Amino acid sequence: MAAIAKRQRGKTLESEGLKEALVGFGFIALPIVSFLIFFIYPLGYAAYISFFDWGPLGRVANVGLGNYREAYHDFLFHKALKNTLLYTAVVVPSQMALGLTLAVTVNQALRFRTFFRAAFYFPAVAGSIAITAVATYILASDGLLNSAVGAIRGTPYTHSWFGESSTALWSIMGLNIWTTSGTMMLFYLASLQSIPTEVYEAAAIDGARTWRTFWRITFPLLKPGHFFVAVVSVIGSLQVFDQAFFVSGGGGGPNYSTMTIVLYLYNTAITGTRFGYAAAIGIILFAIIFTLTFVQRMLFGRAEVA
Amino acid sequence: MTETTGERLPPVPAVVAAEQFAREGEVAVGTPPPEIPGRKGRLRRLIVYAILFCVALLFFIPFFWDVTTSLKTLPETAGFHLWPKHPSFKAYDNALTTFNFKRYFANSFFIATVVTLMNLFLSSLGGYAFARLRFPGREVLFFFVLATLMIPNELRLVPVFQMLTDMPLVHWHLIGTYQSYFIINLVGAANLFLMRQYFLTIPKDYEEAAKLDGAGYFKTYWRVMLPLAGPALAAVTILTFQGTWNDFFWPLIVFLGNEDIFTLPLGILKFKSEFNTQWPELMAASVIAILPITILYVFFQRYFVAGVTAAGVKG
Repeated sequence: MAAIAKRQRGKTLESEGLKEALVGFGFIALPIVSFLIFFIYPLGYAAYISFFDWGPLGRVANVGLGNYREAYHDFLFHKALKNTLLYTAVVVPSQMALGLTLAVTVNQALRFRTFFRAAFYFPAVAGSIAITAVATYILASDGLLNSAVGAIRGTPYTHSWFGESSTALWSIMGLNIWTTSGTMMLFYLASLQSIPTEVYEAAAIDGARTWRTFWRITFPLLKPGHFFVAVVSVIGSLQVFDQAFFVSGGGGGPNYSTMTIVLYLYNTAITGTRFGYAAAIGIILFAIIFTLTFVQRMLFGRAEVA
Repeated sequence: MTETTGERLPPVPAVVAAEQFAREGEVAVGTPPPEIPGRKGRLRRLIVYAILFCVALLFFIPFFWDVTTSLKTLPETAGFHLWPKHPSFKAYDNALTTFNFKRYFANSFFIATVVTLMNLFLSSLGGYAFARLRFPGREVLFFFVLATLMIPNELRLVPVFQMLTDMPLVHWHLIGTYQSYFIINLVGAANLFLMRQYFLTIPKDYEEAAKLDGAGYFKTYWRVMLPLAGPALAAVTILTFQGTWNDFFWPLIVFLGNEDIFTLPLGILKFKSEFNTQWPELMAASVIAILPITILYVFFQRYFVAGVTAAGVKG
């Protein structure tokens, strides 16, 4: 009896394992298929058609590296690339510094910690378009900012911040530094969490002052946090689109001062239906993102998954 | 690093937060370091509070201006008035009826709800499988899921647009329909990650008990695991709903040419391009878009924080 029962259980265990595997595949099937269709296949497809002159009706001609060569000589693409890199170079350090400052401040034993944390994160909760709409009013020639500037100067001030090519991009930078620094603060707060309190206690016993404790202990120990925030911030900045699209009505104006890579890609693909060239621009952007992420990883010397 | 991750994930904020969230149902984000006593302590604290309040105020002003302008009339926006003389909801009325924002609101709500429900189901089911069920290639497939986070939207624009214009094999034309948005947003990799990390921390005893009672895998997932994953499900809900509600990039592409299904961001864009400086209505529209998320945020703040830090790789 016992032997039979044992054998039967062995058998059921084996088929149980198979069943478990099948059920497991079944449970993840839909996500995996959707990732294959809408992420992996597009990656290959974009790479493929970037070597063709490809229109809405399909392949027009095999142009080899022609699209990439065109990007190399394309004035507008240069402008978009320059704008995007300048944007990234300004926004990333600003976001990191502001995010870190807010995090370290909120991380103290303060009253209303939760309130401050909530207040600083709030702009990140509101949608990009709704908030850009508010910004277009505040930065309009008769907007709140000019009222304030006018009141300080004593004479009316009517600069159109998004309307002048000299300030349009910088206004978008300011807007996004403001809205996203709260997110960076949250990442830094989570990172501060992983520093054991004993470290601070030891520093306090040694009589280290707050400022020194910060630079000598907190800042270096936040290395994984710096890396994560830098990567997220760089990737987000290189893909800036919503705000540029909204303030320029999609055209990247005035005078192409708000033309970003993604905006140019969008115009090339959707308005211009030059799918092959748009795909090539996408591949170039992907390569830039990939390279910068890799460089940051070397700089911070840390493997990374999520 | 706790044992619960089951692998060597580096202590980056997302992972730290996901683990803490899984353990405590909340991300405290930041244990205050011990107070360092000093003579100047009190004055310093006062200065810190003053600065904090000023910064918080600065963060708040645009929203204040947004709301007060929406209560003004157009002539009143010309001068500088902190508060309207005769606050009225006329701009809201105009926006909702004349300028169709009632429709956009309903569309946003419908789309965000459907996408959230799909994500809840598929990410928890998949997360359960990745956390608990043993099948060959599990780790590789999970890594594959995470790798999709690396592929930027813009690279997908042309292929996805073309697919939705004429779906290979079945020849569906989906541009300008709700379905196009649903089909490309079945489930997000970040949500799968969050759910898996959460399930990994739930003790196995519960499932063993269910198994002894003869429950199958789906029943175990549905009756045992889901009820235990409340906080993670809340975070996925908030994150997905907010992300979809605020999304601009994909609706701009896939709802092309069909104003009946425009969401709030597209409605705001359309209004702005047609009535450039109708400020009260534009501000009313933006309040309509921001307010629901604000209410969610006020009530479910900890899930926002948890979700964003644990899974939010959205820049």
